[in-house]
Order: sequence, then structure tokens, then C-alpha cells
Amino acid sequence: MIIRTEIEPTRRLVHLVGRFDAHECPGFRSAVTPLVTAEANVIHIDLSQVAFVDSTALAELVRLQKAARALDGEVILADPSDPVRVILEITALAEMFTIIDTTGAP
Amino acid sequence: MSESSTAYRAYRSWVTEPLSAPPVVSVIIPAYNEEWRILPTIGAIATHMSARGEPWELIISDDGSRDTTVELVRDLRFANLTLLVAEENAGKGSAVRRGVRAARGDIVLVADADQSTPIEQYDRLAASLETGSALVIGSRAADGAAVRGKSIGRRIVSRGLHLLVAYGFGVRVADTQCGFKILRADAAKRLFDLQQLDGFSFDLEVLYLAHKLGYEVTEVPVEWIDAPGSTVDVAKVSMQFLRDLVRIRMYDLRGRYARSRPESEPRVPTPAHDAVDEGTRV
Repeated sequence: MIIRTEIEPTRRLVHLVGRFDAHECPGFRSAVTPLVTAEANVIHIDLSQVAFVDSTALAELVRLQKAARALDGEVILADPSDPVRVILEITALAEMFTIIDTTGAP
Repeated sequence: MSESSTAYRAYRSWVTEPLSAPPVVSVIIPAYNEEWRILPTIGAIATHMSARGEPWELIISDDGSRDTTVELVRDLRFANLTLLVAEENAGKGSAVRRGVRAARGDIVLVADADQSTPIEQYDRLAASLETGSALVIGSRAADGAAVRGKSIGRRIVSRGLHLLVAYGFGVRVADTQCGFKILRADAAKRLFDLQQLDGFSFDLEVLYLAHKLGYEVTEVPVEWIDAPGSTVDVAKVSMQFLRDLVRIRMYDLRGRYARSRPESEPRVPTPAHDAVDEGTRV
């Protein structure tokens, strides 16, 4: 999985490309967790190019959400691909996140 | 949340509306203690297969799970998902056999519960059915396969077993054990009616029978990602595989493949009944 980060003054953007599974969690954690700080406590994760998330990856997202909320921030999931959207729904984890559409697609 | 895409709407329709026509494809997932992995796998498969636009059904064939696999799947209440529940853990072969017997599609896909072969690979393999093959099997050993996470030990053992199977049994397939196989339904019904093994060697047995009966088998390279957390004991599994090789040969010599499994075997689950060892349409 490719992880690309963008740093803005008050928020962080993370773009993921590929399959987000247990193999990728250590790399995700080391690259993304340090981005959440008291000054930049909102993190956007672009999931538009993620084809699959397994349970370990979902747990990693939940862990990051808890860390962000501890700093009065949150994790925002942007443009989840169809399978990721469905997986979030059937695992009942969609309600744990703000999920946004940045594409303006009809 | 974004507006619904065509694929998402197809998924929602599949989830809520029972098929109005017989399924073209039956997807069978054998599951044993898969509470940690089954839901993401169902989500990925349901999204992809629904987007293809042809009628399809999903069959989760539980193998006597002791965790919450059955409850998680049952609670989904998908219109076109059949859950087959087994009282005892009999083995992957047993679970797949029950799934094949319950399948109504023209095409049967058997896929592992860990999504180690991404469902997107289905499209390429299914296209090979159109060339006349009765079985199209995913292969981690064929040229062009992309394998991630497979240990060196497993690679060596796989190679050794492949040579044994090829030269000892005439099954010219580089990877008998990849858990992603597509079968024409008539071939699937016949092969799984004959095969005897309940454990993980059922793949080899089915391919042996396919070879014996003259079915055309095509091997297609796939992307395969090892599912972390696998507790497979390579040495133990290899020994069982060798024992099963001998059993297959003995079964054949004794004529057990000349007749179908006896009627006393658990038969096709009846969806209307809600009982163990029977199918429950949820």
C-alpha cells in the first residue's frame, strides 16, 4: 500500500492506495500516528483508492480515531471506495467516523 | 457520505431484493472460526459480484465454528445469502461439498474466507471458462502470479508436493491448493458427488478426479496475499497431505470413485429448515 501524507496548518491529509490489511498496519501506524497532534488534531484519510480493508486495518483506524478524539479531534474518512464503504457499513464501523464526499459526484 | 455509485446501488439491490431469476454464479465460502475476517470478505465480494450485473448468490458454508461466525453472518440478513450451519467441524472439504450441493448457479466459485485472492481476480478467471474449461483454478505457481507473504518453508514444501502430485498422480497442475477455484456447475456437482475427503486435501482429490474423468482444467495466475495470523503447521499439513495422497490412490484402486457418495451422507440442506447441518436462508 502506498501512503502519501500532506501537512496543512490545522489538519493532515493521508492518501492511501492499494490494499489496507494487517501487513500494512505497522507502516500505517508509524507514518500516520505521529501526524495527530494537539495543534493538528483532525486527520483526513482518503480511501478512494483502497480496494479492501481487513479487520486489522479497521481496528487500526478505530485506534487512530480514539487517539484523535483524545486530543479533541477526529479522523475523517474521505471518498471511500465502494467495497470499503460496504465493509464499513456491515461491520457497523461507519457510524464511528465522519465520512465525506469530496468529489462532488452526482 | 457520497452519493451512491452504480456499484453501490447494485449491492444494495442484491442485499434487499431476492433474485427474480436463477443465479448465474454461486460463490461459496467455507468458514471455520472466521469471526475476525468474514465480514470484510463478504463486503468485498458482495460489492464486486453485484457490480457485475448478473444474478448471483452467496453461500457461507460454516464448518462447525465455535466463535461468532454464524451469528455475524446470520445477522446480515442479506436476501441472497445462504448460511449453511454444521454442528461439527468436519473439515474444509466437507464445508465446500455442502456448499456445492446447495449451489444453484451455472458457475461455482469457491473462495477462501480471508480474501487472500482478491475477488477482482474472478473476472479474469471466469473469462477462461468461456474457452471450454470445466475448471479454472487460481494459481500461485503459474507464470505471472503475484504472491506476497508466503514463507520460504511453504514455498519449498509446495514445490516438493507439486512434483509428487505431477509425477505420481498425473495431475499437471502447479498449485492444487490455492483456495480460489471456478467450476462449471455440472462438473462441480459431479466431482463433489464423487469426492470423499473432508479435509483440506479435497482440492487435490477434486483435481485428481477431474483428470480421471477428462475435464479440462485451466490454471490461471492470480494475485495472492498471505493472510496474517495463519496458524498452518507446514510440517503437519504436509504429512497429512501425503497421507491423503495415499488415500486417494487407495480409494481409486478400490473403486470408490466409480460411484457417488452414499445417500446416508448429509444431503443438500433445505433452506426452509432452520437446523444444524441444514441451510438457513437469512
